[in-house]
Amino acid sequence: MKRFFCMLLVCCITWSSYATATHLKGNKYTIAAAPVSGKVKDSKGVPLPGVSVKIEGSNTVALTDVNGGFKIDAPAGATLLFTYVGFEDQKVVLNGQTTLDITLAEKTIGLNEVVAVGYGIQQKRDVTGATSTVTSKEIAKRPLVRVEQALQGTTAGVTVSSNSGQPGTGLSVKIRGANSITGSTEPLYVIDGYIGGNIESISPSDIQSLEILKDASATAIYGSRGANGVVLITTKTGKIGKPVININTWVSKASVPKELDLMNAYDFARTVNAQFATTGNPPAFSDDALNNFKNNPGTDWQKAVQQKPWIRSYQGDISGGGENVNYLVSFNHLDQPGLILNQYYKRTTLRANLGIKLNDRMDLKVNLTALLPQSRNTGYSGDITDPFAQATQWDPTSPIRDANGNYILRAQYGSIQINPVAQANNQLVDVNTTNITGTGVFIYRITNDLTLTSNNTYENQSQLTQTLYGPQTGLGLANGDYAAAATGRYRAYQTSDFLTYKKKLGDHSLTVTALYEFQNHQNTNINAQSKNLSTYALGYYNLGLGTTQLTTSGYYQDALQSFMGRVNYTYKDKYLLTASLRSDGSSHLVQKYSTFPSVALGWNAARESFVEKWNVFSDLKLRASWGKTGNQAVAPYATIPQYVTGGPAYYFDGTTSSITTPLGTPVSNTLKWETTTTTDAGLDMSFFKGRLTFTVDAYHKKISNLLYAKQVPSYDGGGTYLANIGSLDNKGIEFALGGTPLAGKVRWSTNFTISFNKNRITSLGGDDNIVVNNIGSAQTGVSILKVGMPLGEFYGYQFLGTWKTNEAAQAAQFGMKPGDAKYTDVNGDHKYTGADLMPIGNGTPKYSFGFINDVSYGNFTLSFMFQGTHGNQIYSGTIPYTLGGLGDARNATSTTALNIWTPTNQTDNPTFSSTSQNFINSSRFVYNASYIKLKNLSLGYTIPTNVLSRAGFKSVEVYVSGQNIWTITKYPGYDPEVSNSTNAITQGLETGVIPNPKTYTLGLRATL
Amino acid sequence: MKTRYSITVVLFLATYIFGCKKQLTEDPKGNLTPLNYLKTQADLDAAVASIYAKYAVDGAYAFTNKSTSYFGADDLTTDPGLNKGDMRAFDQLNGSSTNSSMLAQWNGPWTAIYQANNVITNYAQVNSTDDLKRKAAGQAYFLRAWGYYNLVRTFGGVPLVDKLISVNDRPPRASVGDIYNLIVSDLKIAKSWLPVSYNDPKQIGRANQMAARAMLADVYLTMAGWPLKQTANYALAASEADTVIRSGGYTLMSNYASVFTTNNNSESVFGLQFNVGGSSPNRTYGASSVPLDEVAADGSSGWDDYYPEINFFLNAPKCVRTDATFYTTLKLRQGSGSNVTFKLVPWNSSETHAGHPYYKKFRAALGDGVVETATTLQSINPSTNKTTDIIRYPLVLLDYAEAQAMSAGGPSAAAYAAINQVRTRAGLPNLQTGLSATDFQKAVVNERAYEFAGEFGIRWFDIVRLQLLSEVIAARATTNENPINFTGDITQRYLAPIPQNDMYINPSWSQNPGY
Repeated sequence: MKRFFCMLLVCCITWSSYATATHLKGNKYTIAAAPVSGKVKDSKGVPLPGVSVKIEGSNTVALTDVNGGFKIDAPAGATLLFTYVGFEDQKVVLNGQTTLDITLAEKTIGLNEVVAVGYGIQQKRDVTGATSTVTSKEIAKRPLVRVEQALQGTTAGVTVSSNSGQPGTGLSVKIRGANSITGSTEPLYVIDGYIGGNIESISPSDIQSLEILKDASATAIYGSRGANGVVLITTKTGKIGKPVININTWVSKASVPKELDLMNAYDFARTVNAQFATTGNPPAFSDDALNNFKNNPGTDWQKAVQQKPWIRSYQGDISGGGENVNYLVSFNHLDQPGLILNQYYKRTTLRANLGIKLNDRMDLKVNLTALLPQSRNTGYSGDITDPFAQATQWDPTSPIRDANGNYILRAQYGSIQINPVAQANNQLVDVNTTNITGTGVFIYRITNDLTLTSNNTYENQSQLTQTLYGPQTGLGLANGDYAAAATGRYRAYQTSDFLTYKKKLGDHSLTVTALYEFQNHQNTNINAQSKNLSTYALGYYNLGLGTTQLTTSGYYQDALQSFMGRVNYTYKDKYLLTASLRSDGSSHLVQKYSTFPSVALGWNAARESFVEKWNVFSDLKLRASWGKTGNQAVAPYATIPQYVTGGPAYYFDGTTSSITTPLGTPVSNTLKWETTTTTDAGLDMSFFKGRLTFTVDAYHKKISNLLYAKQVPSYDGGGTYLANIGSLDNKGIEFALGGTPLAGKVRWSTNFTISFNKNRITSLGGDDNIVVNNIGSAQTGVSILKVGMPLGEFYGYQFLGTWKTNEAAQAAQFGMKPGDAKYTDVNGDHKYTGADLMPIGNGTPKYSFGFINDVSYGNFTLSFMFQGTHGNQIYSGTIPYTLGGLGDARNATSTTALNIWTPTNQTDNPTFSSTSQNFINSSRFVYNASYIKLKNLSLGYTIPTNVLSRAGFKSVEVYVSGQNIWTITKYPGYDPEVSNSTNAITQGLETGVIPNPKTYTLGLRATL
Repeated sequence: MKTRYSITVVLFLATYIFGCKKQLTEDPKGNLTPLNYLKTQADLDAAVASIYAKYAVDGAYAFTNKSTSYFGADDLTTDPGLNKGDMRAFDQLNGSSTNSSMLAQWNGPWTAIYQANNVITNYAQVNSTDDLKRKAAGQAYFLRAWGYYNLVRTFGGVPLVDKLISVNDRPPRASVGDIYNLIVSDLKIAKSWLPVSYNDPKQIGRANQMAARAMLADVYLTMAGWPLKQTANYALAASEADTVIRSGGYTLMSNYASVFTTNNNSESVFGLQFNVGGSSPNRTYGASSVPLDEVAADGSSGWDDYYPEINFFLNAPKCVRTDATFYTTLKLRQGSGSNVTFKLVPWNSSETHAGHPYYKKFRAALGDGVVETATTLQSINPSTNKTTDIIRYPLVLLDYAEAQAMSAGGPSAAAYAAINQVRTRAGLPNLQTGLSATDFQKAVVNERAYEFAGEFGIRWFDIVRLQLLSEVIAARATTNENPINFTGDITQRYLAPIPQNDMYINPSWSQNPGY
């Protein structure tokens, strides 16, 4: 297979170089030139400045001035080519005219566009795969800090959730459901041809377009990495003309969208007394103390750990170009403090995109980006010990600091953990990263039909992480204080070389692509930890002060070698066929090569004469595809058994260390990639010349060889090992409806997308009931993998409220008392045992949707976007800890505690009790997490051109907007969108996650 | 010119495609693998140290959860509220298979047994002397036997895994008898391969021949009780213990309290070592035994993990050992800042939340646990460098005394001498002479209860092998203890349930009756 590709590639190149030698003779006009002048306008008659006017086949170019006027010397019979961003190209053959009035047509959004399809571009009408596009125009509407935000609510079949409000955190993007339980469920990002590029390195305003490839026809060309869908990112390039300067800056005020309803000091104190009374203990607070708190609300710990920061973003770019060179340089700086104390994320990105025309046949593109993020304390994973979670458990009767201004590190009631304000302020995890990526693309049109593209990228990243957990932190209190420095160097390179052969013969057009690709990654890291420093006066800058030193290091290198061939064939522009085959050889596997085929058919019915006669459709296309893609969920060296190093030593006399090298878990050497087989059928429709568009796609994805970190039986050492254990099914349907209902003075364009996905585990290789834990201790054994059920299933007891006084005898059989929690006793043995556990909810939405609207009138534009999910639930780890008596949270802080069961008020909130059964995993903590969010509401004003042109501006727009300002949900926690799940199994689990901020923004966009 | 370009490009690509082939072969330069490791004596030493280290972590025997199912005994109880639900469940004889603290008792020994099996499977291939290899392997056999001994007593029959097995193997639960046979066989190898002493203070924590014999004595004594009831083993137990006693290598510390404030002292036969700075702290001393009511001057407070039942304390013989064992006057912090004072209240004062005595012997550790005077509390730390003694010399003496008496139909003078050595150090008079074998056994078991009060499983396993649970429940106070609402068959409470997840992984197993 791979040899065949090699031969093909080499043959093609060799042949083409011969062919070229005889082909070109240059194009020189010998006829004398005469001046031609004129004006270029748009359809409304507004003059267009900066339009490129070019004599075809020559290097002569002119640009229109501010009034749209131009002058050019052109020979008779020459063809003038008018090009302008956002407008259709126009050609005029000179036939003796000396003045020309040109009206350029605006590009109609949709079908005649050329779209990136991976290893090439294609006319949108010829695309057979299920793809969606997000344009720079859509991106510009919101103050985005990350690229993934641009996908939220804009694209059918794409579910994006902002899993944490922590700055610098990526969003979770799922294209057509979760396709893996171990590997990533995130799509593959391809940045200007660089596969797996760092999504963080892209400033949203540098993006020209995002193409989302959803079905196997579109993604199989990415083989073992295509299963989660692919997002192709194309960055902007300069256009011919004078330098154009864009400025885009905004400032936002952010805050936590809501607070939990917690008790003030007085209510807390009397609740502690009530709790003590149930175990027969004397009151904690005397009557005097209680009375004092009547006039003193105590500390609001939620407010105490939070801040309301200003977020700032500055972006600017300069672009332009001449006949042989075009350029774009951009700068972006984001300064985003977090919603809690002592947390920030700052990012600077620099980009230079250069296009060089070497000669008529050869182009060179060079893109350089530098990404320089800097962050502090942005690594809270979402755990019950995080300061944000502790703030909901801390004793409101305790001040933050004592009379001398020192932190009160521990409180007598509430949580036994450290004061969250002290923890947040005293810990430092400072990360500084430098990422440089350079892409060079060499394009060689060997003949008119054959093109060679060689896309080469080198990425180099170095990172320094400095950490300090001093004495006044939770670790410090347990004598675990330390300072550490970790540095890592990552480098990757990719060469992606492909030949494209394009030929049109009569009604047949054919495009053949043959690819060779190689990628290599290498990572080296060194970590130095110094414990129990003799002084912390030097922070993390002197690790020599520690009593104990621990140094570890790591290294890996991997490689992927690939071959791919693709054929696109169309007949009469009506009947479309795409077939592709990719072979990926990976160093991760013992059996290196895997093959991924795909085939797709399309029918442009709108071009059939009988359809044209109806005069209804401007587009009508039917698509069907089938193909296989993979998911690389096997890490390097995962098939090699290993000894574990760097763990704690053993001390045979209590002080002298002896190195330990325990044998690691067993491994499987027959691992394969997870393979997704997708069948897709789709329909694209467009009516009234594109004023109304409708797309529907239905798909069925079967994931086989599902990889799972299977539990090693405890008698075989415990831990987990990776194995291909089962299969999974995703079925879904997605709709996108777009339209321009009003196109007059008031222009209204709208876009609605909705996606339904049904997910089901079809096999676990004989295992069933695999219970899974999430981060930290708060959510142990809540999630389960069960054949026949979807991922994200919660598992526990079914909560039935409380035992009432008249049920005392029944309760006693369970070892419970009236007021204790009551659950379904499935097997009727009067005990709550493993046999009574059942599915109690699910964290995966049944559908998600987005609704985008732009209404413009004159110079005003109002945009709003709703986004939401339905049918998903959250198992809250945060809420149970506010009810008193669970884990390290000794006393209740939630106002729910004011309405617990008492003999005289028999509510369904379990009372304080000595039983440990009141807090077992149950449906009591499962909440409906469906939501509709007003993600963005924005009002913009474009300052009239006549006012601006005198000041030298081409356009200026100012806007005010709000993000996440309104949410409809029944979820009682902070934010139904957040989760601390780390994989598809634990979806919907939440403990102590910082919510997405509510922000108000003021922004300015200007073009000079 | 174009041709020249083309040829360059072709050559460049060709070099690339054919040059990249070997890059698909993995070379884990930074990792130890069976291909390059466990070849030398140093490698073998590190593999042996790994077995010990697996026992000395929180998920095994470094924290209170190592005793979760032993809370059914009278020397351990826990708070009526708080986050002690897992321990409280067993205190109330109501533990379940989903109890997550209990996992330390199950997973802890298994992770160590896996490492021991690695050494036992591979030691022979190491390039070293037979003597050194046997010393290394002998420790592995000892540590594997210890793991199985704890498993079989806690959970009953468990799978018998004595080598590295395939990850897909699902062995059945072996019989209790088969597990004991493996334990005895391992300890016999250990005692013949291990030296009496390593003659190096830095190696003092390694299992030696006497540790193997002492453990074998304890194993035989247990085998004579429930469930095997192989009473012929009393004589074997007496004989092994006698060898340890006669070796003269161990003497009792004169002061009982100092046993718990020193490491590897004269009565330590085998212990588990810890080191806070090395990320392996012992978290069963210090804060975990301190009442929640106690807050030190620096703001640190007790964890209230475990303490004795009231009647267990009240029935203790009056002696210096009892004074050193129990903590009966609580220090309650008053005021704040520089005006902190401590109010002393008795354990049963209404100002305490639990109304219980606590353990004194586990407080100080090596001075790195609770720092206090009679009237003040400076700090309460959860992580200490204190060794957890697994076999103390008094255990050998009392194993001997009981085994001798039971094997011979009555106690010999040597048996009396052994128990009286322990009683004398405790500050008690000699045991009444002329006792029958069973009365003598009762006296020894009672002695063990207070000599080892609160120590890792010793009291609970006495209750198990002699089936004392109804007796222990009957002696329990009716107020201020966690109520026992368990109404099922009490004889099904001697074994803990197999963890639920392991039941899922091994569908052919049956759960212990009653769970």
